[in-house]
Amino acid sequence: MSKVIAVISGKGGVGKTTSTANIGLGIAMNMKQCVVVDFDIGQRNLDMILGLENRVVYDMVQVMDSEATLDQALIRSKTNRNLYFLPASQTKDKSVLDSEKIEELLGELRKRFEYVILDAPAGIESGFEHTIEFADAAIVVVNPEVSSIRDSDRAIGILDSKSKKALEGGEVEKYLIINRYNPEMVEKEEMLASEDILEILSVDLLGIVPEDKGVIDASNKGLPIIMNEKSEAGKAYMRIAKRLCGNKVPIEEPKVKKRGLVGKLKGMFS
Amino acid sequence: MFSFFGKKKKSASIAKDRLKIAIMSDRAGSDYPFMDDLKRDIIEVIKKYKGVSNIEIKKATSGDVDAISIEVELQ
Repeated sequence: MSKVIAVISGKGGVGKTTSTANIGLGIAMNMKQCVVVDFDIGQRNLDMILGLENRVVYDMVQVMDSEATLDQALIRSKTNRNLYFLPASQTKDKSVLDSEKIEELLGELRKRFEYVILDAPAGIESGFEHTIEFADAAIVVVNPEVSSIRDSDRAIGILDSKSKKALEGGEVEKYLIINRYNPEMVEKEEMLASEDILEILSVDLLGIVPEDKGVIDASNKGLPIIMNEKSEAGKAYMRIAKRLCGNKVPIEEPKVKKRGLVGKLKGMFS
Repeated sequence: MFSFFGKKKKSASIAKDRLKIAIMSDRAGSDYPFMDDLKRDIIEVIKKYKGVSNIEIKKATSGDVDAISIEVELQ
């Protein structure tokens, strides 16, 4: 059984595309056939994070309009043979999306892949609604910060009222990723703790990704951070991918790093 | 200086309180889930008599009373 999962956020800039890339690659690393689809028509970005921007020839809209075949448009990842990528159109705008064509495209992808991951555009406009329309599940990415949490609640509201599953009386599964979590700030009570965010949003927790400088370094290179086994964010994404693949992996709350004597001295002078 | 007398409220708990209130009022919302269908139905009815160029439906809440206001722009 294949699963269509939309990655949503409400507000932009919270790490939604980075999460999509890492989750997709993580699922592929767990030996599952996976495709990541960039639904952010007009603002494609997932190609950069995956390091595949030079391979893009055809895009999703051209496939939907029968100007290209799915095989022509799908790009196989350089780093993992189980991962494919379907790019967004850079020239057209979101109004080109049409429900019937999206359903057809997703049907084709379901036949070929066990996991179909959709990177939704930011905001809650029509592009977002089209991304969630046929999803079986949604991953909500938030930062521990008021505007991100508030906007994600609105996005969840639309998910619960406008997705096909919801309209048919069912419910889309929802999972939360708390991204850019800073345990030092949480300890000082200067940042919302994960349990506070869960209490406010009432969504199941899929994972907590700590703030990690390596994420920008990874996107500079087009190599998702999950490939870096030493990185805390990379390890967190791997646990998330394993959970999505059905493995029972306990949730880990990022901890404050204990500093040794040298670190403490450094801290005193910084 | 007030922190001398009592524990100053940390910003995380301020954030939590503010978010709870903001989200509660967001969820009460400016919309019913059936708004789009209602719009379509109203356009269908009015179209029998005159063309419709724009339609605006708003939810308004005043105390315990919920109401909707409908504004139809004709062609």
